Amino acid sequence: MEIKELLEAIAKSLVDNPERVAVRAVEGEQVTVFELRVDPTDLGKIIGKQGRTARSIRTIVGAAGMKLRKHFSLEILE
Amino acid sequence: MDHSLQPSIASSTSNSPELAPLTSLLDKIIRHGGFELEYRIRPSGRPAEDSDSPEIIVELSGGDSDLLLEKNAQLLNAIEDILLKGARLPEGAAGMVGLDCNDWRRVRAEEIRLTAQMAAQHVIETGQPYTLNPMTPRERRIAHLALKDRPAVRTLSEGAGRDRRVVIFPAEPDSSGAPPR
Repeated sequence: MEIKELLEAIAKSLVDNPERVAVRAVEGEQVTVFELRVDPTDLGKIIGKQGRTARSIRTIVGAAGMKLRKHFSLEILE
Repeated sequence: MDHSLQPSIASSTSNSPELAPLTSLLDKIIRHGGFELEYRIRPSGRPAEDSDSPEIIVELSGGDSDLLLEKNAQLLNAIEDILLKGARLPEGAAGMVGLDCNDWRRVRAEEIRLTAQMAAQHVIETGQPYTLNPMTPRERRIAHLALKDRPAVRTLSEGAGRDRRVVIFPAEPDSSGAPPR
């Protein structure tokens, strides 16, 4: 399972500036936080109308985490 | 391990290179997410007059089918949402493609149509509006279309985000004389 690659693939498909997509994992004991950075002009495409796109990304990442019995959290940054 | 299968081409439409970005992204989600899923692309077989369902179905199956359908198909809907946005299909094409698993969409669509008809009957009999449960945009469309030929009622979507719902109103002014909103 490659959550970083999963996030990169999804984010790059959504944005206009895929070269500006960066994902960093910060691993804790109970949870791994993934920081997703995109160009500020692409933030709306990642978040979506009323946050729907961000919610969909979190659902996919959360389901992948469930299979590993791990808790993943996603932070979206400019 | 890559659990995805090469999609079987079920029609000339599904063979369109326009779908290649969608299947490429789906391959990555399945592979990198570690999901035990495979898929095939098929025509939905919808009747020509049925405009409320996609023409092309990406049918998912495999060991994670139950995971896809948990919580009212939350994961299936999430993957569909990302695919339709991320694949950047030509204008109008996004509505032609949908994801399904174990025939869940067809059964769900039938459930929505039946619920909408029962609720419309209730509205006609009582003269009071009736609010359906929250639905996805595609599901709300099914409810609106299910009632488009019933002149005694009219439908609107109200609310925001995940709480957006279809509300069915009587087409005529209610007992207080106020017109339906």
